[in-house]
Amino acid sequence: MLLFRSEDHIDRWCNAWHLPRGATLSVDQASQLADRWYSDRLSPQFRRKTVEEAHAIFASLGLTGEFWKLG
Amino acid sequence: MHDAEFNSQVRLEIYRQFIEKQSCPSKTDVAHSLCALPEEITRAYAELADAHMLVLQPGNGEVLMANPLSAVPTPFVVETWHPEGMRKWYGNCIWDALGVISMLATDGRVLTSCGCCGEKMVVEVKSKRPFSRPEGIVHFALPARHWWDDIVFN
Repeated sequence: MLLFRSEDHIDRWCNAWHLPRGATLSVDQASQLADRWYSDRLSPQFRRKTVEEAHAIFASLGLTGEFWKLG
Repeated sequence: MHDAEFNSQVRLEIYRQFIEKQSCPSKTDVAHSLCALPEEITRAYAELADAHMLVLQPGNGEVLMANPLSAVPTPFVVETWHPEGMRKWYGNCIWDALGVISMLATDGRVLTSCGCCGEKMVVEVKSKRPFSRPEGIVHFALPARHWWDDIVFN
């Protein structure tokens, strides 16, 4: 997961790697995703998120569809 | 001690030392701190890696990633501010770099560069609000179901 200056730079990077374009997030969305994903990482009760929990986090940020499906 | 409980202690000790020292502890460091045998730590590392809670370096079995932290330098430098001064780590990607700041529940910034042209980019996070200079867009190249196929590339 990389940060780019613009959509055009994402396209150039995908062309260079011969990869189809993936999904894009605003920096604000990425920050919220990071917060919801990692804020409990230092808890003794931390456990790996279930697929359902991960999907719920993605959906809370509008990240739905095939690209965001796990498993 | 039940394996799951021991593995949890190992995981927390890795993070504790990683945060305190701003560098990843070795298996020896963790074994010493927990008064455990090296083979117990090696087994716990392997089980934590199987559970996708650690990523290990090939060969030596030391930690490569204790997400969101990277044990090795990356293009995602994370700086956070604390009463005792600035502290620095590396994230595995932009998501993880922002995740370090979230995990530590503090303000900070990510020093990185455009994945295409290499121009310097800085994302500052204050009170959970990010501000990117210059303006940026995050790209996830791989669909979620493939993230663990090659976690280092991802």
